[in-house]
Amino acid sequence: MAQFVCRYRKGPEVRWISHLDLKRTIERAMRRAELPLELTQGHNPHPKMSFGPPLPMGATGEAELLAFHLAQAADPAQVKERLDNQLPPGLEIGEVWLAPPQKKKETFGEVDLAEYLITVTGQVSAEQVRSRVKELLEAGELMVHRGGERPEREVDLRPLIQSLDVVQAGDDEVVLRARLKTGSHGGARPQEVVQFLGLERDDCLIGYHRTGVYASAEATAPKSRGVWRRWSRSRGGPGRGGT
Amino acid sequence: MKDFDFDVLLSRVLKPARYTNGEWNAVHKDRAAARVRVALVYPDVYEVGMSHLGLQILYHVLNSHPDFLAERAFSPWPDMEAELRSRGLPLTSLESRTPLREFDVVGITLPYELTYSNVLNVLDIAGIPIRAAERGENDPLVIGGGPGAVNPEPMAEFFDGILVGEGEEAIVEIAEAATAPRRAEKLERLAEIAGVYVPSRYEAVHEGAGPRGAVLPRNGAPERIERRVVEDLDAAPFPTRQLVPFLETVHSRVTLEIMRGCARGCHFCQAGATCRPVRTRSLETLLRQAEEAVAATGHDEISLLAFTSVDHRDIRELAAKLVERFGSRGIGISLPSLRADAFSVELANTIQRVRKTGLTFAPEAATDRLRRVLGKQLAEHDLFAAAEAAFASGWNRLKLYFMIGLPTETDEDVAAIGDLMQRLARFGRGVMEGKQGRLRIGISVSAFVPKPHTPFQWVGQDRREELARKQAILQQTLRGHHLKLSWTDAGTSALEAAISRGDRRVGRAIEAAWRAGARFDSWGEHFDFARWERAFSEAGLRMEDYANAALGYDDRLAWDHVSCGVRKEALRAKVEAALTEGET
Repeated sequence: MAQFVCRYRKGPEVRWISHLDLKRTIERAMRRAELPLELTQGHNPHPKMSFGPPLPMGATGEAELLAFHLAQAADPAQVKERLDNQLPPGLEIGEVWLAPPQKKKETFGEVDLAEYLITVTGQVSAEQVRSRVKELLEAGELMVHRGGERPEREVDLRPLIQSLDVVQAGDDEVVLRARLKTGSHGGARPQEVVQFLGLERDDCLIGYHRTGVYASAEATAPKSRGVWRRWSRSRGGPGRGGT
Repeated sequence: MKDFDFDVLLSRVLKPARYTNGEWNAVHKDRAAARVRVALVYPDVYEVGMSHLGLQILYHVLNSHPDFLAERAFSPWPDMEAELRSRGLPLTSLESRTPLREFDVVGITLPYELTYSNVLNVLDIAGIPIRAAERGENDPLVIGGGPGAVNPEPMAEFFDGILVGEGEEAIVEIAEAATAPRRAEKLERLAEIAGVYVPSRYEAVHEGAGPRGAVLPRNGAPERIERRVVEDLDAAPFPTRQLVPFLETVHSRVTLEIMRGCARGCHFCQAGATCRPVRTRSLETLLRQAEEAVAATGHDEISLLAFTSVDHRDIRELAAKLVERFGSRGIGISLPSLRADAFSVELANTIQRVRKTGLTFAPEAATDRLRRVLGKQLAEHDLFAAAEAAFASGWNRLKLYFMIGLPTETDEDVAAIGDLMQRLARFGRGVMEGKQGRLRIGISVSAFVPKPHTPFQWVGQDRREELARKQAILQQTLRGHHLKLSWTDAGTSALEAAISRGDRRVGRAIEAAWRAGARFDSWGEHFDFARWERAFSEAGLRMEDYANAALGYDDRLAWDHVSCGVRKEALRAKVEAALTEGET
């Protein structure tokens, strides 16, 4: 019995696959890879898997998180290779590492920050976008109505936006970087930020790319204040270092 | 289409994964190297079409051939249709995003009458003239096939050719025919293929209102189209590298076709009457295919497809072996078609040790007398024996299928459904001592639809008012704890009957309904009966002449030029015997 944590890429080929469909896709790839999946007990056994915060539909992700249990110990490098061979184009395993044996079930509960690159393609003026960003960051509160949730509610987005910058501005393309709160204690969706910027227009195409998800408690711990870290690093895995 | 435009489309529609492709086992062949390029179209939304085994078989057969290439397309959901039309974009294939009109052959499944408006819509969005007569040298050959082909007349004017029967072998011959340089020669070669009906070579003669009349060959075409049959099912090509959709489809599982055809011969059943003879796949072949398909797909369920899977001669051994090999891996086995008897339940127990979902039985009628009329070999004590075995071994959900509007049916027969179900629920409570609260019996009641090539093809369907009256009887008599009643819409059944027994003129009504906006008629939210009534009258026809009229045994019928292996006299003998049986 061993628990593995892995980081995977969700590329443009599969960006329209919903989180639920992605789960099933990875489950099937694991069965094709003939990994000895550990199944839950009960009438409807299914593999023991858990995912980091779901990506919004249409978004790509550079370093998404997944944990799963195998019935036997295995070499993480081999697990990665076998799984990679069975994933459809657009899905790719970055790294696989063994979770510490004392860790019962990884649920990524501490993950509470996500960084997005938002690419706006179309006739937009970078100056205009910059001034909207400034306005947005200076606002005392940014109330947004969430109709899809039950109960319906108003949420103040402002404290959930940690940072927002224009990182690239071309003729018909502006790229923003947004660091947003995420996870079970409340989060901002990148689409909501775009809505506040007034960029949800018919002549604009918006691309969302998540560069990574993080645990801010660890990122802001005294020794590493202000340093953004890859999730894996803070778990003692083979991380790639901060951004 | 540029990627940018495509992404804009995807960002505006529901379930964009319907249109993106890239599924596991999708085939991407070099278009330039293929001698014939075929678009395989299922005229319903992706999730429905991807659950259709026939499409996967043809996809596999064509793509396994060095000279041919097949790609897929499905009906765009209305949101995508609106986006495509407002931008003037044509419908494309999934794999290479090539407009359908640039293929050599567009093959469209005719799964069921209520998809016919979608067939016209797909052609139109693709920019292909909907009528065969209006197509030119640059248009693809449009070929139909599937269950609906046994009465090709309502769709005859929209197709260059319609394959009646099984496609594994014929599809290769059809693709070969498409290599001829000119359209006229292609049609000529199509007409030479056994089982292929080329409607432009026939003239439809009508004899009064309704489907009476004949379809007569012009200059030398064969008088009758014999349904194409694959002789050796065991040797027939079968895809084990089945496509694995990202989206949850109607059936996300490995499908093994264990058997083709049905030996039972219920008098209403078109599938059973037309798909003959009964052929089975051998145990060895099926076990090999199961291993290959599980390895190639990663699915966690294997479904044993057949009209009645329990009739396979080796079913007990097959089930046991599959459970032995796959059970420990968390892979379940399912039987979509059970007989209502104790043997079936015992079999279900063998295979569903892993997952206990509900059991489904189809008694069709609630009295022994009416079941005898239907040729349904099931006695009431069989049903109770099945239920007892099911409840005793821990199943607590049953689903039962019935029909109303059957020949010789009385109000007592209808009320008997309610009585039978209440007795079944009481019986269940007794058997399930202590767990009665979990008992659920779902009762699904559809209206009888007379279908060509069945013994009941001459019988008229009950009028809609009559069906509504019988539904009211059901509602009054079928009450009680644990029972949940549902029925199919009477208007939907009326249209199904009118098209099912339609002649060539009915094609005009289908076109008029489509022009008036008919789409996805099998989806309740899109179905508008009044629109279809108007469409029939616009075409100068009355729906009741096709759906409700009783036809004479000596009448010539619009589908008599198609032969499914059973002579009309034999069908007549069966219906006459059945109706006599009903009097006793």
